[in-house]
Amino acid sequence: MKFAITVFSPPYSPSSRRALRFCEAALAGSHEIVRLFFYQDGVYNASGAIVTSQDETNLGHEWTRFIESNSLDAVVCIAAALKRGVLDETEARRYQRPGDGVVNVPWALSGLGQLHEAAQQADRFIAFGGS
Amino acid sequence: MATLHLHSFSPFTDTRLASGLRILSSGDGVLLCGDAVYALQPGCAIREQLVELTSTCEVIALAEDLESRGIDSLPATIRSIDYAQFVEACARYDRTNTWL
Repeated sequence: MKFAITVFSPPYSPSSRRALRFCEAALAGSHEIVRLFFYQDGVYNASGAIVTSQDETNLGHEWTRFIESNSLDAVVCIAAALKRGVLDETEARRYQRPGDGVVNVPWALSGLGQLHEAAQQADRFIAFGGS
Repeated sequence: MATLHLHSFSPFTDTRLASGLRILSSGDGVLLCGDAVYALQPGCAIREQLVELTSTCEVIALAEDLESRGIDSLPATIRSIDYAQFVEACARYDRTNTWL
């Protein structure tokens, strides 16, 4: 079965961790994830600028590893990302912000249309957010 | 179409869960995770409401969230599930609705 997953919560939220564990279980159960879409505060999962305490799970790093090792399509909502300063190199240059941005491969900044398309392609659309 | 309703907010801080239960149709499911599992604390009214619901709807709760909140005695008709069963439940229902 094809799943589209959207994450509304930041990497320091239990629901982002829950989303990741769900995705791991989905792939372990031989399901497919057509796209991961990170929306609202969920865009912080893609930020390479977040520093996690040594005694806490670095969930952004776990997401990155999961996406890379499974070659998944991970889209970060560009409007939500820009307003939170979660820029990639292209956007940092476009808006003349310092540095090279904080979003790197395997993440891609793109529009909300990607969420709509994923929901159309998938058999199930699951949202994770809140506490 | 049978819908699996996903709840993660505590029933004691807002009305999401109460609203969600009001609109359930027979054959729908309720999955409690995060702070929503506090609804299953022994002795509270919402737990009794959920037990009554199980005559027409499946009610399930994520095991790790129950354990981390010290809720270890579930009613006989409410099942605790792991992540593989979470995925299976999402696949089994026609659609899911997350109460954000």
